[in-house]
Amino acid sequence: MSYEYLDISGDAGVRATGGSLEEIFESAALGMYGLVTDLNGVRPENTVTVEATSRGTEGLLVAWLNELIFRMDTYGFIGGKVRVLDLGEHHIKAEVMGEEFDPERHERRLLLKAATYHDLKVEKRDGGWVAEVIFDI
Amino acid sequence: MAELKRINETTLEVPVGFKPGMHVRGLIYVDEHLARGIEAKCVEQVANVATLPGIVRASMAMPDIHSGYGFAIGGVAAFGLDDGIVSPGGVGYDINCGVRLLRSNLRQGDVEHRLRELAVALYHAVPSGVGSRGKIKLAQGQERKVYLKGARWTVEQGMGDETDLDHTESGGCLEGAAPELISAKASERGSAQIGTLGSGNHFLEVQRVDEIYDERAANAFGLFKGQVTVMIHCGSRGFGHQVCTDFLEVMHNAARKYGIELPDRELVCAPYRSPEAQDYLGAMRAAANYAWANRQCIMHWTREAFMQELKMSPNDLGMNLLYDVAHNVAKVEEHEVDGRNRELVVHRKGATRAFPPGHPELPAVYRKVGQPVLIPGDMGRASYVLVGTDEAMKQTWGSTCHGAGRVLSRHAAIKASKGRAIRRELEDKGIVVMSAGKRTLAEEISEAYKDVSDVVDVVSRAGISRKVARLRPMCVVKG
Repeated sequence: MSYEYLDISGDAGVRATGGSLEEIFESAALGMYGLVTDLNGVRPENTVTVEATSRGTEGLLVAWLNELIFRMDTYGFIGGKVRVLDLGEHHIKAEVMGEEFDPERHERRLLLKAATYHDLKVEKRDGGWVAEVIFDI
Repeated sequence: MAELKRINETTLEVPVGFKPGMHVRGLIYVDEHLARGIEAKCVEQVANVATLPGIVRASMAMPDIHSGYGFAIGGVAAFGLDDGIVSPGGVGYDINCGVRLLRSNLRQGDVEHRLRELAVALYHAVPSGVGSRGKIKLAQGQERKVYLKGARWTVEQGMGDETDLDHTESGGCLEGAAPELISAKASERGSAQIGTLGSGNHFLEVQRVDEIYDERAANAFGLFKGQVTVMIHCGSRGFGHQVCTDFLEVMHNAARKYGIELPDRELVCAPYRSPEAQDYLGAMRAAANYAWANRQCIMHWTREAFMQELKMSPNDLGMNLLYDVAHNVAKVEEHEVDGRNRELVVHRKGATRAFPPGHPELPAVYRKVGQPVLIPGDMGRASYVLVGTDEAMKQTWGSTCHGAGRVLSRHAAIKASKGRAIRRELEDKGIVVMSAGKRTLAEEISEAYKDVSDVVDVVSRAGISRKVARLRPMCVVKG
């Protein structure tokens, strides 16, 4: 399970890989948080349960990341650890451990505003899964 | 696949047939020089928009074109009200991202020795960057007023006056906003962010007028050489994004329901007269109004920071709003098509309205010369003030470019700035910068953008706007 960053003009993207769909949903979320700050500085002080729904796996990935962006943008909540509890075709339930963003202590990187459908991919590849998501910033 | 065709020195045609299903041709306003930098993806996006139902005349793109989501950034497209569509992708996530410019009575020499202090004062006056919180927390029930009134709401809070509204596109408020269609999420996200600059390419900049191209228009706009101006570039923050995100889902279902075939999911849309499209427009107008309220707050604090820092009265400062333009919005406008007037829904995504002299929507003071058009450039080079023309009405639904247009990815920009002291480089040019993010300066280096002068040159040669003044940055605040 891992992620890397996609080099695109203007915005920023994450490629998540893993052995299962659960893993790529987790690593896509971590990759996303890594765009916002240095994950090493995020303490797992609070655990929040996050749910999202949509049609189809691709739509669900976007809905899930947009839910996390909403919490980040509205409550300042930033995650450092993610655990998917339940994942179906239309619904995800997960636990995110993290804390409130503190500009004094956390490195300020990018302000993400939305996960998009642009060049969105969720594919089975070589016995594992890979997902690519681009964020609007 | 048909080839791109150059039809004159400033326009490239994407012919019908370039992609299957195109109803009209694409027109990209670029000269030979800028054409070399266009990504293939952009051309495809211009062609994709030409396949949408009810598109009139052409799918257009301005010279600052770069690839966006669904529609290219720099895109202009108008659709018939009876046979056409509305698409959130034609507006963008940052609904009513826009620019406002303040003129002043100050000269370069009045502030040159105080730039650092001014930068600090502005940085503290206007919250920006990741994790920043607004100074205003909207109370229950107040949000609704912001959505309905736009910049007028801010003025009613004692921040600014009627002249500011008169000098804002659409008076800083679109009629027909529908607060009841705003999701609880969007509302919550927006309530803490009003009066914040955001991040990325958004900025607040103190500038000097370094060149006047059109004395008459410059006089009408109150601009003179050596004068200090302040430019504010930002939009509807998380609120607009949430509205867009919410409605992409609605529109996805609508496109299916109405059997609209789409080459790209980000182009989701619905017929103009459908409830889904009308709902989106109602929510979009609320977000547009939020953005105007936001820029009005930021401008007010900017004026206060200048007063405190320079110990000058509002009258002596003369920091009047020159104009405020939206560059991400869809509006119903009347335009001449084949010799008769027609109502169209014009989508401008990374494109600025540029109405000609005499247009009834312009404030009385500018009606004789035309609409001021504000074009921000990158933090190291220049920005421009242009004026709208009749030619823009004829060719581009009264539209022109909106900025420089990005060419380098953030990663490439960081790579290009490795080993360089960007802050120092800018200081050597007399530009003081403050930024919240550590990487922002590297990501926003001049080379990450096209040269705005090249972009402005094309729209001016194409006749769709005329140069009035060039502004050089002196002090830049970024998120």
